[in-house]
Amino acid sequence: MNKTLNIKLNGIAYQESVPIRMLLVDFIRDRAGLTGTHIGCTYEGRCGACTVRVNGDAIKSCLMLAVQAEGCEVTTVEGLATGGKPHPLQEAFNERHALQCGFCTPGILMNAAEFLEKNPNPSEQEIRHSLIGNLCRCTGYVHIVEAISDASERMR
Amino acid sequence: MADRPFHDVPLAHAPQSHWVGKNFPRKEDGRLTAGKGRYLADLHMPGMGHLVFVRSSHAHARLTRVDTKAAAGMPGVLAVITGDQLKDEINGFPLPVVVPALPANYPKFWPLAVGKVRFHGEPVAAVVALDPYQAEDAALAVEIDYDPLPVVLDAEQALKPGAPLLHEDWDDNLMFEMTFTGGQTVEEQNRNDEEVEALFQQADIIIQESFKVHRCGVSPMETRGTLAIWDDSDGLTAHITTQRPHIDRLALADVLDIPAQQVRVIAPRDQGGGFGAKAPFYREPNLVCHMARKLGRPVRWVETREEHLMAVSQERDQTNYLELAATKDGKMLAIRNRGIGDAGDGCEGVYWGYLMPFLGAALLPNAYDLPKCDIKLKVAVTNKSATSPARSFGAFPTRFAMDRAVDMLAHKLGKDPADVRRQNLVAELPYTACTGVHYDSGDFPMTWDNLIREVDLPAFRKRQEDLRKEGRYIGIGFGVGAELSGVASEVLVPMENQPGYGAATVRIDPRGKVLLFEGDAPQGQGHETSLAQVAAHEFGIHPNDVVVTTGDTGVTPFGSGTIGARAGSYTASAVSEACRFLKKKMGRIMTHDLELEAGEDDFDFQDGEIIYSKDNNIRKSFMEMSNRIIMAPLNLPEGEEAGLEHTAFFEADKPMITFSSHAAMVEVDIATGQFEFTNYVTSEDTGTVINPLIVEGQVQGGVVQGISNALYEEFVYDENGQQLTTDYENYQVATAADVPPVRVTHAGVPCPHTPMGTRGLGEGLPGPVPAALSNAISDALLPFGIEITELPLRANRIWAAIQAATQQAAE
Repeated sequence: MNKTLNIKLNGIAYQESVPIRMLLVDFIRDRAGLTGTHIGCTYEGRCGACTVRVNGDAIKSCLMLAVQAEGCEVTTVEGLATGGKPHPLQEAFNERHALQCGFCTPGILMNAAEFLEKNPNPSEQEIRHSLIGNLCRCTGYVHIVEAISDASERMR
Repeated sequence: MADRPFHDVPLAHAPQSHWVGKNFPRKEDGRLTAGKGRYLADLHMPGMGHLVFVRSSHAHARLTRVDTKAAAGMPGVLAVITGDQLKDEINGFPLPVVVPALPANYPKFWPLAVGKVRFHGEPVAAVVALDPYQAEDAALAVEIDYDPLPVVLDAEQALKPGAPLLHEDWDDNLMFEMTFTGGQTVEEQNRNDEEVEALFQQADIIIQESFKVHRCGVSPMETRGTLAIWDDSDGLTAHITTQRPHIDRLALADVLDIPAQQVRVIAPRDQGGGFGAKAPFYREPNLVCHMARKLGRPVRWVETREEHLMAVSQERDQTNYLELAATKDGKMLAIRNRGIGDAGDGCEGVYWGYLMPFLGAALLPNAYDLPKCDIKLKVAVTNKSATSPARSFGAFPTRFAMDRAVDMLAHKLGKDPADVRRQNLVAELPYTACTGVHYDSGDFPMTWDNLIREVDLPAFRKRQEDLRKEGRYIGIGFGVGAELSGVASEVLVPMENQPGYGAATVRIDPRGKVLLFEGDAPQGQGHETSLAQVAAHEFGIHPNDVVVTTGDTGVTPFGSGTIGARAGSYTASAVSEACRFLKKKMGRIMTHDLELEAGEDDFDFQDGEIIYSKDNNIRKSFMEMSNRIIMAPLNLPEGEEAGLEHTAFFEADKPMITFSSHAAMVEVDIATGQFEFTNYVTSEDTGTVINPLIVEGQVQGGVVQGISNALYEEFVYDENGQQLTTDYENYQVATAADVPPVRVTHAGVPCPHTPMGTRGLGEGLPGPVPAALSNAISDALLPFGIEITELPLRANRIWAAIQAATQQAAE
């Protein structure tokens, strides 16, 4: 069964007929073609690779139906850089080697972007705790924590 | 937060380099942080069919009925296929191309179950439909009747007479057994066993223990997938999440009876981790390719996490009955080990569930001087998913056993485990272990001493003593790993019928830019950057002027894959050799052009120029010479050809290793058994380091995988063989809040067998971790006499051990 969805992704308005069962992450990836948001679990909402910002809040897009985002403004990792300029997090992640395979990275960037807006001067422990919703296999988290700390300095 | 400045690690023994030893930020990161990566699930083809598997809900059962009629008639369904149909359409396994050169029982199987199922999650049928929802709905409509059979879920139980038989054409469930010491013949092995027994008779002290490691692995964040395209003219083009595209290509050609020249396997440019889980030749990609050919349209399968946790990435799962004989001065005389490995159903191309315990047994003696050992292994099949490779490849359980035994020896002797460990490290290399593994170079005591300095052991011991008086229990634990740095053909050919050489094609273009092609497919190791750094170092150009293409069998030379720490050791070396070949050519032509008195090696390549080393005023730009040799090849020296492209194949003259030593620090709350690892430090010999940040990331990632395995992850099967841990809620992977920071230090020597002195690293890193962690806890709880011999490490177990020890003391 289908429903019409009106949604804004990275500032672009979409109006599409979608199956009600379609998850927000699948809409973003398959309908809007924004494949930067990744799927790492069978929607148990544990891995965090699908994290996007819906009306500013970092949420796991596998835990929402697309139709539940009716009328919302969604930002994905493709919309993190503004005006052609990388976000301080993106720069810091590059400089600190905070990604290896990059699969968990978009979700972590979107989560961290919201986190740093709410907590501009976090301690290492606070950063680690902010990341419990994002699994990473490659890095062991050390460089990620350092990069988020670096970015927070740049953003202050 | 300690602010650690970047510092460049100087190249150990080579001239000043702009690029080797530099923390050059990765070229991959721009696209990956912008969400512009191109992973398997991002690939689409018009008209693509979506494939969904129907998997067994039983652990062991006969298939009495598989009815696909209802499913086949549903909207959008293009095909439904079962094992009974498939077995008449393609070749089954085993096939020589994916069978090791070792004697073992190799089970017969197809990508879909034929006649019976052997594990909870075995593929039984597959549906292809026009959209994923239609495929999912149709999969639910496939009707299957099972006639349950008794299950066996433990390798030792499986080896007992009367155990349920998995492969009914076998006599029993023994898949593989081997004696690793003494020699090739039974007489030699028996004689060796007697000599070992004699050493045990002489020993002042014997440690005897069984070390049990649970089933866990290193599942990557990106699951598996395949996009297969069939064209009557081009044949098969298969995009597969694989570490080994060149091997997969050969396997697909043989299984599907397609001439090899008509099979192209492309590993997507970006892959989300592998760690061994993407190394085997699996059922699923095999079937997807077949369906693409059968339907004449592209077919894509993207694995769900649930499928992944049911079907792959289950490893470790070994029990090692280890005996250690030593003198009262702490010198180890011999070890005797009986290893039991669990291969799951064993149905897995290339590795068959047993090659990992095989290598783990060969690596058991670790970095210790143990010329006389008696090491034997048995691997059984059970009703679980086939054990698939996970980083450290079989050595995680054997490293745990060996390094725990060293600490137990130290405790019995009242010595510091650090001292006993150092005393027994191989003092001089090269050295050949009693299992035949060759350790080529390094300085274990030097790398180890650096670790002890970095953790300031004397200060820790003082603090430990003071805190004990306050009723607080901290501990420090160590683990070491002499790990394979790449896998030599000498080892890989007998083991897997596959070569170990590194290969790279270097192509210079007329604009002085470089294209580099290599056949191994990375999943995050940074090859695009580190290999570009090597070429930039050799040619004196910028890494941004070097483009690396990987993992496409159509355009790259043969590569055995991203396995066993090959890149830094073999592949990077092939890149270096190819570059040097071309540099010499450019040198010869420049000599001729400028009428110099020079040999081909009398030129320095720096900052985009080729400079005559005997007179710096004589120089030409790299671009100018490239253009001259490719586009204007007139008046070349006698016998010289035009063009600047070369493929080099690198084989080291000896199998090589890399050495890692680890220290973990913990505090244990004896009232609850809870523990917290506060610090983790490593000391590495990685030879010449190409990119220090990348190396640091590899170590940190490998250590945290080891911590996650030892503490949190566990595949659990219930008594009916139902797998209970098929999602990330139940199969717990460590988060950032669960693990300590990992500090990586270096104290190494360049490898004498590679052109730049590099070593490979990555594969072995989780190996020393479980011993470091459990040695730390045992060290903290030494006053209670608690020795950990089983993983995972859990607070309730530690609490129970403390209770038992306290009660015993009271009696």
